[in-house]
Amino acid sequence: MRERITFVQKLGDSLEPSVINVAGNLISGPEILATREDKVTLALDELPAAELQDSLNRLHELHIRWVSPVAYQAVSPLLSRLPPGFHLFFTPGKDDADPVSNRLCQTLSAIFGNVNCSTPEESFTSLPNDRFSHSSALQYFQPLESLSPFIHYAKDQLCSPSDASCAARLDGLTQASSLDVSYDAISHALKVTATWPYQLQTVHATSRSQYRTEVGILSAEKPASLEPYELGISGLLTVLGQDSKPSPTMFSFASRHRDAQSAFSTKFLKPTGLHPILKIHFESNKPPSDDSYCSPHAYFTLPRTIFADKYQLADDLFLASKNLTALRYSSQPVDLEAPEYVMKRWGSAVLLELSPPASEKAEPWTAEVPLHLRYLSPAAGGYETIQVPYPAIFWACTAEEGTKFPSNPFERVNLGYDGLFGPRTVFWHVEPRPEAGSLLVNAVKVPVLDLNKSEWVNTGTAIAVLLGFAWVVWKLAAVYLSSGHERDSSRAVKPSERKKKQ
Amino acid sequence: MSAGSSAPSLLTRFFQRALPLYLSAALLRVILIIYGLWQDANSPLKYTDIDYLVFTDAARFVARGQSPYDRETYRYTPVLAWLLLPTARITGNPLLDTAWFSSGKVLFAAADLVAGWLLERILTTGSSGNGGNGRPMRAATARKYAAIWLLNPMVATISTRGSSEGLLGVLVTALLWAVLARRVTLAGLLLGFGVHFKIYPFIYAPAIVWWMDRERMRDDPGKRRTGLGSRLTAFVSPARVQLALVSLATFLGLNTLMYLLYGAPFITHTYLHHVTRIDHRHNFSPYNTQLYLTSAFPTLSSALLRIESVAFLPQLLLSCVLIPLVMAKKDLPTAMLAQTFAFATFNKVCTSQYFLWYMIFLPLYLPRSSFLRNKTLGSSALALWVASQGLWLQQGYELEFLGKSTFLPGLWLASLGFFLVNCWILGIIINDVAETGTRVSSSSKKTVSFDLD
Repeated sequence: MRERITFVQKLGDSLEPSVINVAGNLISGPEILATREDKVTLALDELPAAELQDSLNRLHELHIRWVSPVAYQAVSPLLSRLPPGFHLFFTPGKDDADPVSNRLCQTLSAIFGNVNCSTPEESFTSLPNDRFSHSSALQYFQPLESLSPFIHYAKDQLCSPSDASCAARLDGLTQASSLDVSYDAISHALKVTATWPYQLQTVHATSRSQYRTEVGILSAEKPASLEPYELGISGLLTVLGQDSKPSPTMFSFASRHRDAQSAFSTKFLKPTGLHPILKIHFESNKPPSDDSYCSPHAYFTLPRTIFADKYQLADDLFLASKNLTALRYSSQPVDLEAPEYVMKRWGSAVLLELSPPASEKAEPWTAEVPLHLRYLSPAAGGYETIQVPYPAIFWACTAEEGTKFPSNPFERVNLGYDGLFGPRTVFWHVEPRPEAGSLLVNAVKVPVLDLNKSEWVNTGTAIAVLLGFAWVVWKLAAVYLSSGHERDSSRAVKPSERKKKQ
Repeated sequence: MSAGSSAPSLLTRFFQRALPLYLSAALLRVILIIYGLWQDANSPLKYTDIDYLVFTDAARFVARGQSPYDRETYRYTPVLAWLLLPTARITGNPLLDTAWFSSGKVLFAAADLVAGWLLERILTTGSSGNGGNGRPMRAATARKYAAIWLLNPMVATISTRGSSEGLLGVLVTALLWAVLARRVTLAGLLLGFGVHFKIYPFIYAPAIVWWMDRERMRDDPGKRRTGLGSRLTAFVSPARVQLALVSLATFLGLNTLMYLLYGAPFITHTYLHHVTRIDHRHNFSPYNTQLYLTSAFPTLSSALLRIESVAFLPQLLLSCVLIPLVMAKKDLPTAMLAQTFAFATFNKVCTSQYFLWYMIFLPLYLPRSSFLRNKTLGSSALALWVASQGLWLQQGYELEFLGKSTFLPGLWLASLGFFLVNCWILGIIINDVAETGTRVSSSSKKTVSFDLD
């Protein structure tokens, strides 16, 4: 087991080594404005539950990415973003009829609370695997506001009842902006990474004797030698229980995730009806990089209550009128007709390329994304409110030929959209800002059949149908009784027949 | 019909010859197609129907040697995709490509014209009235009635937007024409193909079979049969056997061919889809609200009998048994109108395209209808039909675009209202086949009711 705790400050903020106290297995310092990231790496046999060990052992790859709906500021180099909610990227083990896969949803439900999937086969979508082998095979997503069930589960599994500090540390996750849990069969290790938003926090960490804890207090750096595709970092590193004082460090690395230094917000146009249009407001149409070709993209993970129609998004004129370039990807299949309540699949992932106005001067702009609601289950009151997570929006820029992006200490892969781009694409993230309040979700009020008024539907429909049917039958009977079912022989008798009668 | 003094003569002259009518019907469609091209090229709101994009996408798949069912929501026979193969042609010349792409609309529009011409033929050969024994209508008068179809803006718009319903119009009128002309093999071919194409024309089979008695087909003149056994042998006439065999062979042959070519997806999308689909999206059907409710709560068993689970009973009883039995021999075109009307009205799904299915018969029925004889009745029926539909559309608009929960009671009551208005109109249509008889000779009442086979 290993642990890495990193405080990341912004460019220009840095701490003098003298303000940091290292004493045995404790490090402490002043209150600073920073993002905090805790990363714990566990070998499989260090996992508390044998059942969990066994389950993980049988799968090939599993990446859970939970993102808080509360808006947060990201700090370099922890810049990658995903729509808020519970994301899962999964590659099952070699055994097709794997019971672990089939029980996956139940296991996840036990850990994370209400995970609404049935089995990977029914609920997950396939990711395209023709481009990069490092993408997982299957994807799942659902909105999930809180980590409380996970915290509860983790306390139960990891902390002894007397260990208050263990519980307190896990309780800290209620403030986390994201939580990643990754496992793959090659490293045989489970990596759990939590990050907290950029805010005032005290530098404080302790280690336990059983494992190694490394603490970094870092800030972004821009040395003259920095290449355009690189990020620079400097700061203090301390291995607790081993170092007596922090050692200064400075390094740079190529990163695929960058900060576009602009923001967007989204809201649904009113009235939403059954075909809501999501309007995206951008602060600026200026590409983040002048050296390479860039275009903005929006990556949506849409719950099954709402979807985009790829056929509607195929017409260039229509797209242009909404400031869209093209639908670059949509997970398949997307049933365009089924109501929500008969669907087992989680929903759909959609990647849209956007088309900003090409003006010399930076200016705000908007794009509109037409979406469609499914029918939802009837409910008392006649309305249901659904939560639609913000998309992740970034400028995708192509780095120059020959640029390599080797793995870096803050690398995050398997995000759903990264596998849809070439290896030289750099994602310049645009910061999502709530339209109102603090949450990165948009609510839509969906009209449904009002159960309070439905008691007469069966009887009323039956009466009307029988009434209509009876009326028509009565008319038919009247015709039959007055003139039978034969043609009226008294009229228009054929000459040939007339002859015979005579 | 008109207030101007010169208008009647102008109108009469318009219908005097065939050319003005067909030329203006063609011109109307040409203008609409060209206007549609303009709108499609210049507005994000498209003139072209979504369905046309589905057909042409499917045709493109076929052109590449793939299955038309590779296109999602393609729920039609492969024949339609084959017919539209020219739309998939790419020449490299954008103008020519647009023309090729629009060729399907030209085909649908041409089908409209042919259907209109067949209507005129049926009316003028006098085979339409009174079960095929009516007096032939003057050509000019026939064209006036055919114009209800040919110059109908709704019909022209639907086919030029690229909906395939026009093809159905020509199939059904051709079927009726073949039957009335006693061309049994042709009728069988058309019936089999029609059912393969869109399923619902199967309802015409019992009416046609019932109509084709020995007397009418002139293959056993004069002979009267009384016993049950001999009545049965009288019923199984050569013409009926021929029609059954030819239509069944056509239907099965086409399906076997399509199954061999495209496999299970053909069966699933063309036929099974209509059985298994849950039509939750609001439509005109009286069952719609009930279906939404029960599809969401399939286990809810509050009611002893759920009307929607037996919805096929009134629908098929009317359109396939009672209406053919009572009406077909008296007036086949009106019987087919009533069948289609009943089928659409009592169906579990009903959208405005279904209205086109019965609209094709109006020119054949209206000349003898009480709606035209009694102007008050006619205009109130039309007003009620439009008003009850308008009420539904208004509720539907509030739901679809304003997001108001109008399912209950608004949409539900509106659909029931529209349903009852349709039933009332259907009753009048049915009544008209008796009226035409009794009006001519009211004394024949007694003899007619005993005039059985």
